[in-house]
Amino acid sequence: MESWRRNPLTFWVFALPPSLWLAVFFLAPLALVWMMSFGEKVGLIDIVISWRPDNYLRAMDPLYLQIFLKSFWFAGLTTAVCLVMGFLVAVAITFAPPRRRPLLLLLVMLPFWTNLLIRTYALIAVFRTKGLVNFGLEQMWEWSQSVLQGVGLGDLGLLGPEFEPLQLLYNNFAVVAGLVYVHLPFMVLPLYAALDRMDRSFIEASLDLGAGHIRTFFSVVIPLAMPGIVSGIIITFVPALGSFLTPDLLGGTDSQMIANVIERQFKSANDWPFGAALSFILMYVTFIAIALRSLWAGRARRGSAA
Amino acid sequence: MNRPKTGGVSRRKFLAGMGAVAAGLKFAPSSVLAAEEKKLNFYNWDTYIGETTLDDFNAASGVEVSMDLFADNDELFAKLKGGNPGYDVIVPTNDFVERMITAGMLMPLDHALIPNIANIDPTFRDAAFDPGRKYSLPYMWGTIGIGYRKSKIDGVPDDWKWVLDSDRYAGKIALMGDGTTMIQMTMKYLGYPLNETDPAKIKQAEAVLIKQKPYVKVFAEDNGQDLLLSGEVDICMEWNGDILQVMEEDDDIGYVVPKQGGLLWQDCLCIPTGAPHPENAHAFINFLLDPEAGAAIADFIQYATPNMAAKKLLSAEYNSNPAIFPPQETIERCEVATYNGAEYTREVDEAWTRIMAS
Amino acid sequence: MSRRAPPGPLDYGRRLWLRFSLWATFLFLYAPILMLVAFSFNDSRRNIVWRGFTLKYYEKAWNNDSLIEAFTNSLTIALVSTVASVILGMMTAVLLWRFRFPGKAPYEGAMSLPIIIPEICMGVAMMAFFARIGWPANLPWPLNLGAITIAHISFSFPFVAMVVRARLARFNPELEEAARDLGASQWQSFRDVLLPYMRPGLVAGGLLAFTLSLDDFVITFFTSGPETVTFPVKVYSMIRFSVTPEVNAASTVLIAITLFLTTIALWLQNRAQSS
Repeated sequence: MESWRRNPLTFWVFALPPSLWLAVFFLAPLALVWMMSFGEKVGLIDIVISWRPDNYLRAMDPLYLQIFLKSFWFAGLTTAVCLVMGFLVAVAITFAPPRRRPLLLLLVMLPFWTNLLIRTYALIAVFRTKGLVNFGLEQMWEWSQSVLQGVGLGDLGLLGPEFEPLQLLYNNFAVVAGLVYVHLPFMVLPLYAALDRMDRSFIEASLDLGAGHIRTFFSVVIPLAMPGIVSGIIITFVPALGSFLTPDLLGGTDSQMIANVIERQFKSANDWPFGAALSFILMYVTFIAIALRSLWAGRARRGSAA
Repeated sequence: MNRPKTGGVSRRKFLAGMGAVAAGLKFAPSSVLAAEEKKLNFYNWDTYIGETTLDDFNAASGVEVSMDLFADNDELFAKLKGGNPGYDVIVPTNDFVERMITAGMLMPLDHALIPNIANIDPTFRDAAFDPGRKYSLPYMWGTIGIGYRKSKIDGVPDDWKWVLDSDRYAGKIALMGDGTTMIQMTMKYLGYPLNETDPAKIKQAEAVLIKQKPYVKVFAEDNGQDLLLSGEVDICMEWNGDILQVMEEDDDIGYVVPKQGGLLWQDCLCIPTGAPHPENAHAFINFLLDPEAGAAIADFIQYATPNMAAKKLLSAEYNSNPAIFPPQETIERCEVATYNGAEYTREVDEAWTRIMAS
Repeated sequence: MSRRAPPGPLDYGRRLWLRFSLWATFLFLYAPILMLVAFSFNDSRRNIVWRGFTLKYYEKAWNNDSLIEAFTNSLTIALVSTVASVILGMMTAVLLWRFRFPGKAPYEGAMSLPIIIPEICMGVAMMAFFARIGWPANLPWPLNLGAITIAHISFSFPFVAMVVRARLARFNPELEEAARDLGASQWQSFRDVLLPYMRPGLVAGGLLAFTLSLDDFVITFFTSGPETVTFPVKVYSMIRFSVTPEVNAASTVLIAITLFLTTIALWLQNRAQSS
């Protein structure tokens, strides 16, 4: 890394366009909403910026904190599942024959060019009581039953009197499954990008030196893939935290996440200032986490340089 | 089903109407521009217009209608709140008409430009939410009641108890995902007025719903009818039109408005403030209230039309369907939702957040 | 190497458990999609009970002008937004990877804001912003898509930056220095050394940006007007009442188009590589 002063021209060429874009088309709109979070609504449409923290105080109610916690739990679980699945997929793609890699990568991405809503509804068709999964299970149940019948055990009712469909929809399981389904490519892509150019001689060396595959994986592959893992976690966890369609459509009666509450503030409750405050709390928390991480990463880098 | 033909007669009649409109315009205030482009942006619910209505209007007036869809009133309101992005005709439900009038988001209608008002059933020509119908004209109306699978339910579930306060159908119940509607229907079950705003009673309704929650499979996002059809639930709270559509596919499904009465809704035609084509908008609203056009719409979407002249053109099957037109004594026990102020909205939203979080 | 040889130490691609997990993942990803495609041929107004084969929903979707229009809008927006996001994201990644400058940590934080912001909050922010600056509403196509495209670029390019940066983290900066020592100009070393190295990251980031844009509903919803409806917004309003096979048919066509285009792209790439 070099100081920007060493090469100011290049620095500005790279710095100006994205910074300007961010400032004008993101930070300025955001500032409007930030101001709104300190406002209060007057009548139906107007919002007066009173610079009072009332909305934030209201959000500190245990009711909302509990929903925040639940959302973090859902998003964390989703990220963990995505990380495990995504790692397997990314490794499998990385070690596939080179000609097949783009195709596999494409296969991971393809479902995501289908609209999120349509995909969620398709997932409902798979999970519902008379859906694909239960249909398959029922076939298997009947098949096993007839096998049992064949060997003379059919009347013992080992498998229960009749097929019990699994209740896969409208509960917290469905929400996490839906979130994993939606966010998996966000995990696979950065992992693949990090693994792809990994120097394989490190792995070879580790194996040659007597470390097993598992040890090599944890002490060589994972550290090398760390930047990809971290970006994968962030770009999975954060959108998962802010989802509202998935809990809306797949969740049961207690699957409410914080974004559902936020969405309601902007829609039916018509309380934009409170919605803005809730959104900003969500952002502050995530922002602090990311800032801490880069601070920590910076310190680690400096530490290793010294 | 006999689909009324939208033939030349109505077009000619319509053109005559247009002539009257044009004649009237000469003396209209100069705010109406001389030559309005032949375009109209219609913001509507999905599957809420006849199959050929827009083409018929185009053929009759030369105005090209582009229709855009919204999913619920909240969306419509949120979208127009920051300023009208260019819509000419919108279809909000009664309580939102009231909200939008209060917020100054609707343009007054010029009744002289809409002679087809004469076709509207007199009971719909005035409304508490819009006295004198200055801003809105009725498009369709209906109820919220209970949809159920006949073979799985004992008799006719004509009591809100079966979905709101009973474990009889545990795990097979779907309620609605909209907090305000849920609280309002619970009020009806408890014997209070639909628009009850007393915080203590809201609390009471909240307690009923929290108690019932373990037996409820899902608070459905406007898809209770699909859940019913797929066998996911056996009984659900839904809009009558939604249940009617699945009744066509499955004879085993029925609809009833419980004896405590339900919610009566009315979707209205309005022109939002800042509409770029107000002149075409008036012509379009007039066209939708035309007997034949109105009959074609009602026949296709199977909702109750307030258009008397259109009703006369429709089949007996439509006119006598109790799921479209509930018995008079049921209607008398139903109530219309009103806009109950910001304090109420907030209280109901917090109650709903607590119900969902519990 | 013969197929029968035992897998080498690095031949993870041929290990059974890894293959199994890959196929299991694909099953999870594709079962819903296959259901979706199958039900597009269902002769019923709903996607619940199979009532026989029909193609009428394809005909209906094809004749649905507003659906086609929404489709075109979505693709146009996604293409423009992807190109812009890849360029801006690449610049951000290089900037953060290469330079040390005062206020870098907060700068990085600001760059990740579009990733961490709840979509609905950004949607409202964009709507409020465009209303405040008086963004012209009645521009001719495709200029009327400007507001949506701008919003899409704003939330896509930080994602691209993140992916590219993960890639750059493993780059040996001495390579670029060596190139410059050998007399390459700044631009030449960037073009011939850094850019090729970044390419997989750029492709991955571009795919991500394209997907994000094509799929975005919430932010688009708040920035779209009557003449700028995109596919997700259209589908959303259609789907909220009931999922008709028409929507399935349109999605199937979308999948087929993407499949077709990407196959061509892959084929072209393979040919370029082998020649």
